[in-house]
Amino acid sequence: MNFNFDDDERQLRDAVRKWVERGYGFERRRAIARAGGFDDAAWGELAELGLLALGTAEADGGLALGPVAAMLALEELGRGLVLEPVAAVGLVAAALLARAPEAVRGAWAPGLATGERRVVLAHQERASRYRLAHVETRAAQASDGGWTIAGAKSLVPIGDRADAFVVPARVAGAADDPAGVALFLVEAGAAGVAARGYGLQDGARAAELTFADTPATPLVDAGEAYDVLEFAVDVGIAALAAEAVGVMDRLFEMTVDYMNTRKQFGVAIATFQALRHRVADMKMQLELARSMSYFATLKLGEPAAARRRAVSQAKVQLGQSMRFVGQQAIQLHGGIGMTDDYAGSHYFKRLAVMEIQFGDTLHHLGEVSDRLQDAAGVFA
Amino acid sequence: MDLDFTPEQQAFRASIRDWVAANLPADISHKVHHALRLTRDDMQRWARILGAKGWLGYGWPKEFGGPGWDAVERHLFEEECALAGAPRIVPFGPIMVAPVIMAFGTKAQQERFLPGIASGDVWWSQGYSEPGSGSDLASVKTRAERRGDKYVVNGQKTWTTLGQYGEWIFCLVRTSTEGKPQTGISFLLVDMKSPGVSVRPIVLMDGEPEVNEVFFDDVEVPAENLVGEENQGWTYAKYLLAHERTNIADVNRAKRELERLKRIARAEGLLDEPRFRDQVALLEVDIVALEMLVLRVLSAMAGGRKALDIAGLLKIRGSEIQQRYTELLMLAGGPFSLPFVQEAMEAGWQGDFVGPAHCAPLMANYFNYRKTSIYGGSNEVQRNIVAQTVLG
Repeated sequence: MNFNFDDDERQLRDAVRKWVERGYGFERRRAIARAGGFDDAAWGELAELGLLALGTAEADGGLALGPVAAMLALEELGRGLVLEPVAAVGLVAAALLARAPEAVRGAWAPGLATGERRVVLAHQERASRYRLAHVETRAAQASDGGWTIAGAKSLVPIGDRADAFVVPARVAGAADDPAGVALFLVEAGAAGVAARGYGLQDGARAAELTFADTPATPLVDAGEAYDVLEFAVDVGIAALAAEAVGVMDRLFEMTVDYMNTRKQFGVAIATFQALRHRVADMKMQLELARSMSYFATLKLGEPAAARRRAVSQAKVQLGQSMRFVGQQAIQLHGGIGMTDDYAGSHYFKRLAVMEIQFGDTLHHLGEVSDRLQDAAGVFA
Repeated sequence: MDLDFTPEQQAFRASIRDWVAANLPADISHKVHHALRLTRDDMQRWARILGAKGWLGYGWPKEFGGPGWDAVERHLFEEECALAGAPRIVPFGPIMVAPVIMAFGTKAQQERFLPGIASGDVWWSQGYSEPGSGSDLASVKTRAERRGDKYVVNGQKTWTTLGQYGEWIFCLVRTSTEGKPQTGISFLLVDMKSPGVSVRPIVLMDGEPEVNEVFFDDVEVPAENLVGEENQGWTYAKYLLAHERTNIADVNRAKRELERLKRIARAEGLLDEPRFRDQVALLEVDIVALEMLVLRVLSAMAGGRKALDIAGLLKIRGSEIQQRYTELLMLAGGPFSLPFVQEAMEAGWQGDFVGPAHCAPLMANYFNYRKTSIYGGSNEVQRNIVAQTVLG
C-alpha cells in the first residue's frame, strides 16, 4: 500500500504541467472556446506530449505507462481547463479499440495514439439518460454480410471534428436489454452520417450525430460488447475524476490567493473566521475527492462488479466535492467570481458540466445503493 | 501507487486476526457488536490480555517493551481488533501518557510507571480539561505550588473520561502565571488515592456517568512526579495531542458499525426502501473516502515523510461519520428506539423489552456520540487549524 509515484509518472506530470502553464494560458483557451472549442494545433501539442498514446498498447504504438500516469496527466489538464478531449480519445476510445478485431485495431489504434486519427465513443441517446444499456440505435446485417446502423447519438465529444465513432447499436432485444447491444466502428465520412456541432456550457465541443443506413464495421459482438462498454465508461469516469481534482485544486489555489489579497473593512478577507472555516471545508472536499480519484484509478483492474461499485462510489464523492468546491469558490470571490472575465467562473462551469457527465451524483448513488454488501471499505 | 498491502503486511494482518479470534473473550465481543454496556472489568480484562501479549502498548518502540510496529502495522492491528469486536483500548495510559513518559520522563519514572501501563494493571485518567477551559487548553488554572520536595495542588479538572476507575491521573497544572498562558504549565503525575483528591461523576444525557469532575484540595504530590521541566508542560501536552491524533479518524470502527447498521436496517425491512438505503450508501461512500484518506496519511508516514497537511482533516471527518452512523442506527430502530430501559443495555438481560432488543441502545448511542465533535479539540478548532495551514 503506497501512494507514491514512480519516475516515469512524475516526469509525465511535470511535462504536462509545464505545457499547461506555458502553452495553454487562459487567453489561448478563451480564443479556442470562441472558435468552437477544439484546436488542431493544441491537439498536435497534446499528441506531442504523448497524451493520446496513454491508453494504447505498446504493440499498437502506445506508451503503456499505465492508469496512474494517465491520472496524473489528466489532473494537470484539469488545472489548465484544457478543452480538447484527451481522455475521450486517448483513454476511452483506446480502451474500446483495444478489444476490436486485429484488422480494425491495426487500422485505427496506431493513428489514434499519434493524434492523427480522432476516434470517440458515441453512446448518449435522447432517451437513455445515464443508462448505458438503453440503446435504440439499430444495427442490421445485409445479405452480403455487411452491417449498417440507423439512429441518432447526442453530445458526442468533438463529434464534427472526429474521424470515426465507436457506436453502441442494438442487434437484438428490447431497448434496455444489455445482451442485445453490439459495438461498431463508423467512419465520419461514411454514407448517411450527419453531424451538427455546437459548444457545451464549459466551452468544449460536441455534436449531434444521425446515422441513416450507415455502413459500420463490427467492433465487439453482442454478449461481450456491453461489458466492454461498461469498462470503457469506467475508464472515462476515473479520468474525469482525475481531471476534476485538477480543476478543483487550481480553483482552490485561486480562491486562497484571492482571500489573502482582497481587503474588506481594512483587512484581508482571509482573516474572517466564517470564511476560514469555509476554506477548511473546501480543503476537506478536495482531499476526499482526490482520495476517491486515486481509488477509482486503482480499482480499474478489478473484476467488473468490484470495479463498477468503486467507480460509482468515486463519482458520488466527486459529484459532491465538485458542487461544494465550485459553489464556495464563487461565493468567496464575491462579485468578481460571477464575471466571464475572471478565470474562476470558467472553472466553476467546468465542474458543473463534469458533475453530469457519465452520470450525476444521484444516479451513481443509486448504483452504490443497489450494490450494498455486508462488508464495506476500501478492501471489501 | 498500489492499493494492496505487501505479502508481509497481509501475513501480519492474518496473524493478528488469528490471535484476536483466539484471545478476545466472546462475552466481550458480543457486547461490542451489540453496543451493550461495557463494565470496568470488561475493559480491564481485555487490556490485561493485550498486556500479557505485549500489545497493550502497541505503538511503543521495542526499547520500552513494545512490539516496534510501523504505522501500517499499527493500523492493521487497530483494524483487526475493531472488526473482531474488541473494546477500544482505554487510551489514557498506553497511548497518551506513556509516550510522554518515554520522551520526557526520567529513567526512574519510566521504570516506575511504564510496566503498570504496559500490563494493563494500572488505570490512568487524563486531567486536562477544566470547567473554564473547553478547547482552550492553555487556560488551565489548577495550581501546583512548589513546597520543598513536593507540589501542593489545588483546583478542578472536568470531563475526565472513566475517571471513576482512575488510579493515577496525568495533569496539566499551572506553576507560573508569568508570560503567555502556554508558559507556566507543568505536567504532573498524581496518585488518585492521595488525600484531597475526590471524584464526582457527571451523568451525561444518555444516563451514563461516563465522565467526571476531579477535585484537588491541598493534594501533596512528590516533586519526583513532575515530568520533564517545570513550566514546559505545554510542549509535552502538544506532543501528547499529536499521539492522540493518529487513530482519531477511527475508520475501522466505522466499518464495523456500518455492518451493524446494515444488519439492523435489513432486520427492520429498511434495505428494501430506496430512500433509506440511499442514505446507507452515502455513508458507505463517506467511509471508503475516509479510509482512503487514512491510507494516504499512513503511506506518507511509512515513507518517512512529514505527515501530510491532510492529517488535520481526519478528526473532523471521522467524528462526522461517527455521528452519522449513530443517527442512521437510531432512525433504523424507528419507534423502537424510543423506550428508555437502561437494564436492556446489559448483556444477557432477559426482561421484556419493548420491540427488538437490537433497538434498545440506539438512541442512547446517538445521544452519547454528540460528544465526538466536541472532544479532542472541537471540530471548529480543528477547522481553524486546517485553515491556518492553507491560508496562513
